[in-house]
Amino acid sequence: MDNAVSVTQLAKNFVLKKRDGIRWTQTQVKAVDGISLSIEKGQSVAFIGPNGAGKSTTIKMLTGILHPTSGEATVLGCIPWKERTKLARRIGVVFGQRSQLWYHLPPADTFELLSKIYEIKKDVFESRRDMLIERFQLSEFLDTPVRKLSLGQRMRAEVACSLLHGPEVIFLDEPTIGLDVIARQELRELIREWNREKGVTVFLTSHDAGDIQHVAKRVIVINHGRVVLDDRVSRVRRQYLSRKVLSVKYADTPESISLDGVKTLKESGHAFRFEVDTLAVSIEKVMSEIMRIGSVVDITIEDPPLEEVIAHIYSAPPAAAAGDEAEEEDDDGEA
Amino acid sequence: MNGLTSYLKLAAAYIKINFKSLLAYRGAFISQMVAMFINDFVWIAFWCLFFTRFPVVKGWGVNDVITLWAIAASGFGLAHMFMGNALTLPGIIMRGELDSWLLYPRAVLPHLLLGRSSASSWGDALFGIVVYVIFVKPDLPHLLLFLALICSVAVLFVGFSVFTGSLAFFMGSADSVSVQLRIAMITFSTYPSPIFQGFVKILLFTLLPAMFVSHLPVSALRNMSMLDAFYSFAGAFCVLFAGILMFYLGLRRYESGNLMEMRG
Amino acid sequence: MGKYFYIALTSIRSRLAYLAEVGSKTIFLFVVLYIFLCLWKVTYAETNQTSLGGLTLKQMLWYLVVTESIIMSLPTIATLVDQDVRTGALAMQLVRPMSYPLNMLAQTSGERVLSFALNFFVGSIIALIFVGPLDLTWSAVAMFLMLLPLSFALDFTIYFLIGLAAFWLEDTTGLTLIYSRMTMILGGMLIPLELFPEGWQQLLRVLPFSAIVYGPARAFVTGDWHLFLSVFLQQVVAIIVFTITIRIVYNLALRRVFSHGG
Repeated sequence: MDNAVSVTQLAKNFVLKKRDGIRWTQTQVKAVDGISLSIEKGQSVAFIGPNGAGKSTTIKMLTGILHPTSGEATVLGCIPWKERTKLARRIGVVFGQRSQLWYHLPPADTFELLSKIYEIKKDVFESRRDMLIERFQLSEFLDTPVRKLSLGQRMRAEVACSLLHGPEVIFLDEPTIGLDVIARQELRELIREWNREKGVTVFLTSHDAGDIQHVAKRVIVINHGRVVLDDRVSRVRRQYLSRKVLSVKYADTPESISLDGVKTLKESGHAFRFEVDTLAVSIEKVMSEIMRIGSVVDITIEDPPLEEVIAHIYSAPPAAAAGDEAEEEDDDGEA
Repeated sequence: MNGLTSYLKLAAAYIKINFKSLLAYRGAFISQMVAMFINDFVWIAFWCLFFTRFPVVKGWGVNDVITLWAIAASGFGLAHMFMGNALTLPGIIMRGELDSWLLYPRAVLPHLLLGRSSASSWGDALFGIVVYVIFVKPDLPHLLLFLALICSVAVLFVGFSVFTGSLAFFMGSADSVSVQLRIAMITFSTYPSPIFQGFVKILLFTLLPAMFVSHLPVSALRNMSMLDAFYSFAGAFCVLFAGILMFYLGLRRYESGNLMEMRG
Repeated sequence: MGKYFYIALTSIRSRLAYLAEVGSKTIFLFVVLYIFLCLWKVTYAETNQTSLGGLTLKQMLWYLVVTESIIMSLPTIATLVDQDVRTGALAMQLVRPMSYPLNMLAQTSGERVLSFALNFFVGSIIALIFVGPLDLTWSAVAMFLMLLPLSFALDFTIYFLIGLAAFWLEDTTGLTLIYSRMTMILGGMLIPLELFPEGWQQLLRVLPFSAIVYGPARAFVTGDWHLFLSVFLQQVVAIIVFTITIRIVYNLALRRVFSHGG
């Protein structure tokens, strides 16, 4: 099998019980409604979708936590819910709510515990641990109790924990949430490096468009339990993620802006919302024009909300299927 | 046997890290141990007073009840020193923390039980041994049997905690129910067994197996009876298996997602 | 005065919502009283007595109902005071017209009374089932009703003092535990004072613990006039002594607050 992950018509129904006064009502909810996908070894995939889309449920099935209602899946040749412990040795997981690090102790102690849990031979463990410490720059706080670490440091240590047993596939759920810009960047680079140099397959969920663009090469969008888009990030970015939303507040009424690729979304008093198509015009040009037409009091630059992007994806015709090797895009140029 | 050694090594690793974690807050650790000591000691004081006035009750003297308390305290303490998560199992299930444990290449139940050590339980464990040695002054054979029997009681308490905690797979208010049952179990376990007769006695050998703490181990020590010791162990392991069964039944339900509303 | 009554009432009303607590208390009381019944039944039978320590088996069980109800009704006075000390809320209360201790007393009394009433109600039903009704006299009830509030007030003063120790100690839970356990054992919760070794009884009658637990319970069950008088006197004296102590400690604490800037 060359596929790291292979999913065929995976489905999961939940029975939702709600109390309505004294009566119980039962509704069938289709959390995952027939997903099929396959991920080759060494790929880096972003798995995105709005809340309630079925992301977490899918990951739970792929990691063996949940049993599906129907459909098939294999991860590294194992059926996750049937061979849970066997698979667990070969996959790594970083889930947002789950912290492997022992709170009152330094990360070094958690590493040692993990070596015992995964039954890693001592020499293998030591060399891999030292390598992770070096690559993830953990030596400065290796002996500091976890409760004293910053969120960025903690996340680096958490990801290192998940790589200690040398997994072939790692599942990351919102790894950069709550991190500051620099920490976020560092973490993305580390994950990307790991994917590229070690050939570890990366399966990432995120709400952050930046995570998707800088870590993954391929993006799968899921909504209402179904795959809505499955394509290369470069193509998706060109089609859907090239827009930025600028919220600007002026001191006085500014001159009107007329620049190709800039659309005024909303205007109220001295506050404006612009949508910028970065494929049509550079941010630099837009910024200088915005500064020129008036005295700027406040400015925010955001990606359009993911829900909007997905709604956009849903309504626009889907791009060609993934696996098309014709176009090789290098995403490194991004800041 | 390879599997067993593997899990014993795992247990050793967890005891080491749990102890280290407790030591990180030395003050709180010690004060919790001391609090348990005081708590347990009050009961010994009560029984000493009681038996001063009434030296023998249904063949039991003060030594017997102190032996009972020692076994119960050390057994309970031992159980939750090593497997502290047995006490908080309902919470773990309800908060979805089981997922975390399912991601490891280990059998879920033993692994998750080892994940925490209850600080106050160290006080209980120590108390029982100290009180037994100081008050009852046993000879070596009795001491060895005592140490074996507290292991039996520990197994029993783990099994009972797992059984009642696993109710969380099936009902919403399992947290308070399991606490109530645990209190009932401990309370019944710490009174001289002969005072219970009839229907209640049967209950205490089955649904609320306190007799395997208060009757069989004490009588095993009184008479150096290997048969009673065997029955203690047998009962303890029955309870353990019941607990394990209940847990895995519940786990199957959990893994098919019929537990509660879905998250995201 | 009306202010304090209102506070007590609001406190009671909010507690009524905690019905689950009732269920768990019921189970616990049932287990405890049943076990005590078994123990004392056997003891009475083995010693071939109808009266131990001046109580029949029936009186013994009802005695235990009252003592358990008192002990189990304890609100978390020391914890509340401790928290208020640490958060500085106590310092803030200085500005309010109501004095802090009275405020706290009103607040916790509502809880205590309701809790006791509930425990006693449940315990009574259990006792009725196990041993049948007690031969109550009106005078016994009257004595009990006079001793009970004083018992609560006395208990309050001591826990309040422990809470104030938060000004000086890092952790008051140890003190709280020790005091509560001493009340249990030395206050006669599990075994009436008359059954203690002779040498102990004199001392225990003087200590405040017995005035809190043993006194009201014994009065209820026996209606002993002399007992009532001595316990009543003991309670009043103890309350006065502890209240004065509170004032002293309180002023010391306030001085500490002002000098340390809160």
